[in-house]
Amino acid sequence: MLKVTNLHASVGEKEILRGINLEVKAGEVHAIMGPNGSGKSTLASVLAGNEKFTVTAGEVTFEGKNLLEMSIEDRARMGLFLGFQYPVEIPGVTMANFMKMAVAEQRKFRGEEPLSTSEFLRLMREKSAVVELDSKLTSRAVNEGFSGGEKKKNEIFQMAMLDPKLAILDETDSGLDIDALRIVATGVTKLHTSENATVVITHYQRLLDYIVPDYVHVLYKGRIIHSGDKSLALKLEKEGYDWLINDHKE
Amino acid sequence: MTVNELIQSGALQTFEGGTITADAVSGGTLVSVNPTTLKVRIAEGVAANLLLLHTKPMQTLAEVELAEGSSLSMGDVYLAGSFADVKVSQCASSECRMVVVQLGDANVTYDVALNGKEAASSLHGVFVGADSEHVVFDLTTRHNVSDCRSESLVKGVVSDRAAGEFRGLVYVAQDAQRTDARQTSRNVEIGNAAHIITKPQLEIYADDVKCSHGATVGQIDDEAILYMRQRGLSEPMARRLLLEGFVGDVVSRCEAGGELCAALAAEVESKLEKL
Amino acid sequence: MKEKDTDIIEQLDNSEYKYGFTSEIETEYIRRGLDEGVVRLISQKKGEPEWLLELRLKAFRHWQTMPMPTWAHLNIPEIDFQDIIYYAAPKKQQPKSGTIDDIDPELKRTFDKLGIPLEEQLALSGVAVDAVMDSTSVKTTFKEVLAEKGIIFCSMSEAVRDYPELVRKYLGSVVSYADNFYSALNTAVFSDGSFCYIPKGVRCPMELSTYFRINAAGTGQFERTLIVADEGAYVSYLEGCTAPRRDENQLHAAVVEIVVLRDAEVKYSTVQNWYPGDKEGKGGIYNFVTKRGVCHENARLSWTQVETGSAITWKYPSCVLMGDNSVGEFYSVAMTNNFQQADTGTKMIHIGRNTRSRIVSKGISAGRSENSYRGMVKVAKGADNARNYSQCDSLLIGDKCGAHTFPVIDSLNASAVLEHEATTSKISEEQLFYCNQRGLSTEDAVGLIVNGYAKEVLNKLPMEFAVEAQKLLAISLEGSVG
Repeated sequence: MLKVTNLHASVGEKEILRGINLEVKAGEVHAIMGPNGSGKSTLASVLAGNEKFTVTAGEVTFEGKNLLEMSIEDRARMGLFLGFQYPVEIPGVTMANFMKMAVAEQRKFRGEEPLSTSEFLRLMREKSAVVELDSKLTSRAVNEGFSGGEKKKNEIFQMAMLDPKLAILDETDSGLDIDALRIVATGVTKLHTSENATVVITHYQRLLDYIVPDYVHVLYKGRIIHSGDKSLALKLEKEGYDWLINDHKE
Repeated sequence: MTVNELIQSGALQTFEGGTITADAVSGGTLVSVNPTTLKVRIAEGVAANLLLLHTKPMQTLAEVELAEGSSLSMGDVYLAGSFADVKVSQCASSECRMVVVQLGDANVTYDVALNGKEAASSLHGVFVGADSEHVVFDLTTRHNVSDCRSESLVKGVVSDRAAGEFRGLVYVAQDAQRTDARQTSRNVEIGNAAHIITKPQLEIYADDVKCSHGATVGQIDDEAILYMRQRGLSEPMARRLLLEGFVGDVVSRCEAGGELCAALAAEVESKLEKL
Repeated sequence: MKEKDTDIIEQLDNSEYKYGFTSEIETEYIRRGLDEGVVRLISQKKGEPEWLLELRLKAFRHWQTMPMPTWAHLNIPEIDFQDIIYYAAPKKQQPKSGTIDDIDPELKRTFDKLGIPLEEQLALSGVAVDAVMDSTSVKTTFKEVLAEKGIIFCSMSEAVRDYPELVRKYLGSVVSYADNFYSALNTAVFSDGSFCYIPKGVRCPMELSTYFRINAAGTGQFERTLIVADEGAYVSYLEGCTAPRRDENQLHAAVVEIVVLRDAEVKYSTVQNWYPGDKEGKGGIYNFVTKRGVCHENARLSWTQVETGSAITWKYPSCVLMGDNSVGEFYSVAMTNNFQQADTGTKMIHIGRNTRSRIVSKGISAGRSENSYRGMVKVAKGADNARNYSQCDSLLIGDKCGAHTFPVIDSLNASAVLEHEATTSKISEEQLFYCNQRGLSTEDAVGLIVNGYAKEVLNKLPMEFAVEAQKLLAISLEGSVG
């Protein structure tokens, strides 16, 4: 589904991604871990198409298409979803209106008929249940005045609405108390099928108790320096990154 | 339906101006279209709904008086380049809620005088300037006596070569203790020739007061655009949605009734599309 | 509460203006009044070159065509400009090359009393002082030490004589004589002031400071200060001012020009404590000052002012952010008491790209005073990515004073992000009660709260002066709350 080959990216003069290789297939869950500043969020942003970063080398294909040539919105419409670490507040724009446009754009892109208002409302109701999102929040402005937990739930709610092929969740667990973490993680798990894939970027092992990854990758200084299965996450939790990093000091 | 179509349809009870006294609680909205001079008095304890529509370039002088304990919800809408002076004077315990929408080259001066204790005034305004329009929004709120509240929020959007000017003054007289006054001016500039001037002013002669003002000039939030594009919206679409959101919370305060409010929202939307 | 008010007001009346004494110094005056002859006479007394006289005359002729500005929120009594003596100088003054022993002992005593010793060994370490009495500079300390680094710090008169090219190049380049009524007047009749030049890449090793003293009666002080920080240079500069207690109002109309060249930085701090007039509003200095700096590429100019004196203050230290990436800052505490009036603030003119400015203004009004913040943030068309943040707070002490805020934001560039916030408040009874309960007197509590309120600005002052400024605030405020 996603194939990243030797991806290099920089912001300004500074190179942050320095040769990423990653392949994600349908039905898989990947976790990307790594110390602060290793480039985890940058990888997510570059895949989503954030224009702040310049791709200097490498290739990314998504469903066989060259992802790097596509605009942010076309990547999204094709089914790439990025759950933001810090979802932005958009005053005055209601969640309902926002989602209505987003769903309509996606359907148009895929050549599907637009949803009727009642179909859309039904979809909203159905999907907000997935993450136990207070239905009142959907009538409020996007993320405005939401608590940290509500913002993250809202990301997963939108993921449910847009039903992506590939969801990249950037530190979705940060700032969540244990209940919110459970709800968010359960939401993600419920949405997971053999047809789609999830990439979870996280600092902590605890999220992976709920979302069990098939692969765990360690990102350090812009490269994946080690990959393993779920047990790698546990080992990292216990022993930190030093044992891995020492081999990669410059 | 546009506002003009609505007026022509005859569905509204309109009057042209003159002197009017609202002396009974009425459910409907008094609508005045293009008045030159207008005096409205809301009698004691009465709650009324007033809407002024300016659809062509002209000059208006409107005086509104709120008697003790009365309440007024007032809309003031400019679809064309009008000059207008709107004076509101409020007696004790009266409440005036104003929603102002300026979509043309309008130059409007509001003077709200709180003359009786515990009077409350709120004003939510929006102006949108396109092409080479020059919009002026001038608001003076006078706290002449103690224990009054006022709140104003005026949002401006200008694009192309348009200029938008907000002049606000909160005046607090020496005896107007326990005044609570807030004034906010928020503006968005689009394109590289637009011009925003904002002058929020405080003139305060009493010490036991809570007064604040704030003013911002900025652009559309790039982060928000990015976020919306990640959810599949195109950039122009995201931009318009943001602008609609920016002015929407003002426009949605209109209490003039369903059809009118919908028509107004449509006018705003079509204006924003021109930016 | 009311009873307490009167108590405290009485105490306030008794608080002295510490610097109100007069010195018995033989002074040379020129004739009262202003005409071309007087302008020529001042220029002649200073032995000036022809170009400077021409500039003065041009300014004077222009001034005659200008009306006095009335737009400020100030009630300025009519000023008879013909009833002012435009030049007064201590008589026994020796050539400036003279040693400390050449200075009139009474003059030395005066500055000692003001806490500004003219002997270098007694001076505050790390501070070089130019002491200006009435129309002339009396002594500049540490000149030799500074000269070793190529730094020029001297009186304006000396600069005109010794560094004519520098003065001619920069004088009037930031504040034109035609800029406003008082800048025209100043250009016509300015007598002395300080000149400071920091060469390329030099970091000035000490604080430079000018102390302005008005002593003679019936005179005005019109000083001119010019600071040039060459590429990559740095200087921190401080001015202080006092005047004797007199029943007549005296005019002080200064111009300060600052040129901050590429990569340079200038910090300019003022502790303004001109005689504010008595509790009935009689006497005091009219302080009408034009201060402005131009920042070139990557340059930074920071204004800090603590304004407690003067009957009327009219000043707006400003930054013209001409070069890309330049930064302007304005930090101000303005305190007015009794019948004082202040209309002060700043202008930040963004012209270069990526320019940033920050304004923090704290107004404190007590008694029957009027205190206004007036500011402008202007973003020119080409000033991409301009940023400004302004915070203007007012504190009211008593219900007979006024606190006003008049900002203007004017943006011609859609990439600008500009924010202005202002609040008005009073010292709450809860705060006072809390402090009283912990054993503080009301006076101390007010001093504490006001100093806390002004802290963000006071912190920007050089250390030695921050302490002075704190004391000054406390004295100026003593007991003004009930």
